[in-house]
Amino acid sequence: MRRVAVTGIGVVSPLGHSPSDVFEAARTGRSGIHRLDIADARRMTAPLAATVQFDGADHFEPPQQRLLDRVSQFAVVAARRAFADARCDLTDLERDRTGVFLGIGMGGTLSMDDGYQTLYGQQSDRIKPMLILQGMHNAPAAWIAIEHHLRGPCLTYSTACSSSGVAIGEAWLRLASGVLDVAIAGGAEAPLSLGSLKAWEAMHTLASVDTADPAASCKPFSKNRSGMVLGEGAALVMLEPWERALARGTTIYGEIVGYGVTTDVGHIARPSVDGQAAAIRAALASAGLSAQGVDSINAHGTGTQANDSVETSAIKLVFGARADQIPISATKALHGHLLGAAGALEFVLSLLALRHNVALPTMHLQESDPQCDLDYVANVARPGAAGKTMLSHSFAFGGTNAVLALRAAG
Amino acid sequence: MTTADRIRAMLVKDFKLDPDKLTAEARLEDLGVDSLAMAELVFNIEDEFGLTVPDVATTMTTFGEVVCFIDELIADRDTAAESAAGSYLLRSVTLTPGQ
Repeated sequence: MRRVAVTGIGVVSPLGHSPSDVFEAARTGRSGIHRLDIADARRMTAPLAATVQFDGADHFEPPQQRLLDRVSQFAVVAARRAFADARCDLTDLERDRTGVFLGIGMGGTLSMDDGYQTLYGQQSDRIKPMLILQGMHNAPAAWIAIEHHLRGPCLTYSTACSSSGVAIGEAWLRLASGVLDVAIAGGAEAPLSLGSLKAWEAMHTLASVDTADPAASCKPFSKNRSGMVLGEGAALVMLEPWERALARGTTIYGEIVGYGVTTDVGHIARPSVDGQAAAIRAALASAGLSAQGVDSINAHGTGTQANDSVETSAIKLVFGARADQIPISATKALHGHLLGAAGALEFVLSLLALRHNVALPTMHLQESDPQCDLDYVANVARPGAAGKTMLSHSFAFGGTNAVLALRAAG
Repeated sequence: MTTADRIRAMLVKDFKLDPDKLTAEARLEDLGVDSLAMAELVFNIEDEFGLTVPDVATTMTTFGEVVCFIDELIADRDTAAESAAGSYLLRSVTLTPGQ
């Protein structure tokens, strides 16, 4: 197996548009969650979201922009940023051996919602001719491949909230095994259509508004947590063999050393301690690590009742007596749940936490749930505590659990 | 404005084409209007002219062909409207004696 380096980061996120902005927001606890100010927000019980400051017209000519749902726009812009950050000039031959691996949850739901509004709301048959191309789940990945002429596999993973953890892991497997030489991997999501928001609300998974501070409404591992807050954005990373990165003298953010993926097979929506623990163990095995070798964890930490207690139990099951000595960060308190892009944004934050050796805080955690009794780095970043090796957890409806193992560069 | 002027203005606005290149003989594909863009153009023409345009329009190759085709559709529509208006008048006249 070859070593795989991360050499570029591109983000379009509620916490900012560069690795340094995103890291600083996460380190200092600046939340990207706010009251949602769309016209139909009054129809929401708890109108909250983590939105991105983004105008597609700044990035695309009108003829192309009309073809791209917001989720594709996020993905393409994040990919441009990752390529620019990696200073990666690929030869024509290398483009044959470069792949795109993208996680997506809801696809082009904003465009589809708009089409349904025409069809059902206005009772009109004037569906715009580009709706299929805007709505299809693989459009964001395809646009990245087209723009950069990447002729290797262009694959879209849709495993709900673990989609982009899976995408990065699957890309890593191909690079590590030598099947591919370069990959751009991550996730994108633009789920803030009324249809999607109302569907998530109907499932009773969304947080209620913290009236004292709406930005603090998502409270992972807290006794008074009330659910997740939906977020939008994209995060992509450039992956290449370690030797290639060294040879061209580029910045190496860190290394992916392992990946575990398992399936719960219990319930479509209820997480399983055993399934999550199995994914953590699989990642450790793939990295050749013992439980002693993990210094810190970026939790899935959604802020829902079910996830946070189950995830805590899974960590205890794998790490035993050592579990309460591992700093655990849940950054969704700040950037919300980006669904198909969540794992990728958290992977980026994990890389940066390792690079700066800072354990990121789990914000809005005043009182822990008795069932969540580990060290969640409550409310204040902890310098020197991220260590050298970190796990990034992504768990999902449907039961696909993905865990990535990362190591600091150098 | 003629039909040609109106369609030319749409192509300039929506597809950023150079108006000077939009001659009757200009092949749309050569100007970057591919089959997908043709579908979008036809959709917008339907809105602009209040027409229902048959699918065959998306296979036309030159700017002039599209303009001619749309002009014919407009003429057909106007003729149909006149004939409908005419038959209404005729019907009115015919009905009068029966009252």
